[in-house]
Amino acid sequence: MITARGLVHAYGERRAVDGVDLDLAPGERVALAGPNGAGKSTLLRVVATLLRPQSGTLALMGEQLPGGTRAARQAIGYLAHDPLVYLDLTARQNLELYGDLYGVDDRDARIDDLLDRVGLLGRAEDTVRTFSRGMAQRLALARMLLHRPRLLLLDEPHASLDARGAALLDEELLAATSDGRAAVIVTHEVERVARVADRLVVLRAGRVVLDEPTAGLDPMAVRRRYEEVAG
Amino acid sequence: MTPSSTTDGPDRIPGQRAAVIWGVIATILVVVSTIGVFLVAPEDADQGIIQRIFYFHVAIAIASLVAFAVACVAGIIYLRTRSVRWDDVGEASIRIGLLFSVLVVITGSIWAKASWGTWWVWSDPRLVTYLIVVLIYAAYFVLRSSAEDDRKMRYSAIYAIAGFASVPLSFYSVRVAESFVHPVVFTSGGANMPGTMLWWFVVSQVAMIALFIALLEVDLLGRRSERALRRLAMRLESA
Amino acid sequence: MALVRKDLRLELRTRETIVAMVLFAIVMLAILQFGFGTRDDDLTRFVGGLMWVTLAFTAVLGVGRSYVAEREQRVLDGLLVAPVPRTVMLTAKAIAIFLYMTVVEIVVIPLVGIFFVKGPYWDAIGWIAIAAVLANICIALSGTLFSGLALFTRARDLILPVLFLPALVPVVIAGAGATHAVAGGPHDMSEWRGYCLFLLAYAILFALVSVATYDAVFDD
Repeated sequence: MITARGLVHAYGERRAVDGVDLDLAPGERVALAGPNGAGKSTLLRVVATLLRPQSGTLALMGEQLPGGTRAARQAIGYLAHDPLVYLDLTARQNLELYGDLYGVDDRDARIDDLLDRVGLLGRAEDTVRTFSRGMAQRLALARMLLHRPRLLLLDEPHASLDARGAALLDEELLAATSDGRAAVIVTHEVERVARVADRLVVLRAGRVVLDEPTAGLDPMAVRRRYEEVAG
Repeated sequence: MTPSSTTDGPDRIPGQRAAVIWGVIATILVVVSTIGVFLVAPEDADQGIIQRIFYFHVAIAIASLVAFAVACVAGIIYLRTRSVRWDDVGEASIRIGLLFSVLVVITGSIWAKASWGTWWVWSDPRLVTYLIVVLIYAAYFVLRSSAEDDRKMRYSAIYAIAGFASVPLSFYSVRVAESFVHPVVFTSGGANMPGTMLWWFVVSQVAMIALFIALLEVDLLGRRSERALRRLAMRLESA
Repeated sequence: MALVRKDLRLELRTRETIVAMVLFAIVMLAILQFGFGTRDDDLTRFVGGLMWVTLAFTAVLGVGRSYVAEREQRVLDGLLVAPVPRTVMLTAKAIAIFLYMTVVEIVVIPLVGIFFVKGPYWDAIGWIAIAAVLANICIALSGTLFSGLALFTRARDLILPVLFLPALVPVVIAGAGATHAVAGGPHDMSEWRGYCLFLLAYAILFALVSVATYDAVFDD
């Protein structure tokens, strides 16, 4: 689902992502970890088509970028630090907007279903400004899943989700293997994500320093492995 | 790495020869056209010696438009290729074009003082238009200085395209307005120039465009040298 | 269309932009009126200039607000990861700016007309309105482009007028000219037509620029 070769993204002279190769097959869930400033979020933004790599090639869902950007975007679900919803629209209006942007056929039924699952059906007609941080992030989860994405790109999802949202996200991620979806989860809580990921990629100074399967390993063992390479 | 290896091959700055050649051509043409305009071309019956400023005034004006056109094309190519080279061409062209536009306003102002007795005439479409053009392209540098890296180059390219669209619009808006106030101010003038005047005008025009190209080449050469120097410094640092 | 509806929903709920724009336009007109001298003077000659200078500054104000929700509430990434061509996104913004300007003008033009127009009132207002619609297209197309450029710059509130106002000069000249042509009693229709054709040319030229550049504005 991701085929990246030699990706570079620099801010001025500083290369935040410095020649990254990454492959992701359907059903894989990879934890992307590394110390602060290692380029995790930048790499995720490049893969999410929000940043253009200055060199290297990137193909998503078999579509070579930048030509296939639009098709790739249709398949991406992106969860950021910010919920990416308008504070002055209601929960439902926000989802209607995104439903239209992604061309979701069964928009209204899908919105009801997702609002129910994230526990916001009762607050559907309230503006997001009245929501708590955890509620807004649960709405963001609904926003991300709305168009049934096949590639989930998550930036520190557990940092801002409340317990209910986190449980729902884990459930979605564990279900991914069986239906061929894939996920990249940026995190600094390696042991937390190790429960739902089956592979660990560690970045340091913009380069991949570790890429190995972790399925079946104890979360604390994954943590130790991470600390060995991350320094 | 031996020290001598940095002086040959890959570290030669390309474009040195072009800068020298265009510099020589421009110098010769500017000298020839200056001599021609002041000593050879006939004196205008009505305006006398001050009319000779016309050769430079109009030639610089047209050369500045050429510069802005080059920047617009460079902007389009930059957006397609994302190559720093075309950003360089765009910025250097607009810098020179802006310099020329300021000269247009100054020479126009001198001409206005000599023939109408005031430094500035709001009803003269040429002067007013050039003032707007100067403002449009001065804004280019404000925009450049407030963004970084890729974004700076991309915004500059977009603005160079939009700015070049604004130029003819400014020209015509001022002229449309003029035509209703003073319908006879501008006939599509210059056609009744005597043959020798026209000839010297063409020479000055070619000289100014050559001057633009020479300045552009020198500017680009400077940028390339600076980059090469920085690469060298980085290599020395890491060595 | 969904994007336009979103902008209008936000505006209906918060009423931040349009109310401010209308108030600003009225205050600005009052200031210009006082700046020009006593009320005894006949200002009909200047009405076009007064009105279009006001509308130009109002446009800068409104255009400057056009990405406020996206920026302050940090929603832009959400729109950018969606499979929507950038040109469509910016065109939606242009439509919103067009509608805001239209609302302002629905208030401002008849108001100015009451004080300054000589001759048949609705007749003159109608001709001015046609010119205003054309001018709004120009303002929306160029304003969208410049607000997109200013969005991520330092001192963006300063950058936008510096970029946008020089490009608005032709619109002000033509709008003022078209207004002037029909405001002072007997209409000069050939003059009005000349200015409207010019506005049309501006709109077409900037439509071409928009097609060429809108895709690149948010392309990081």
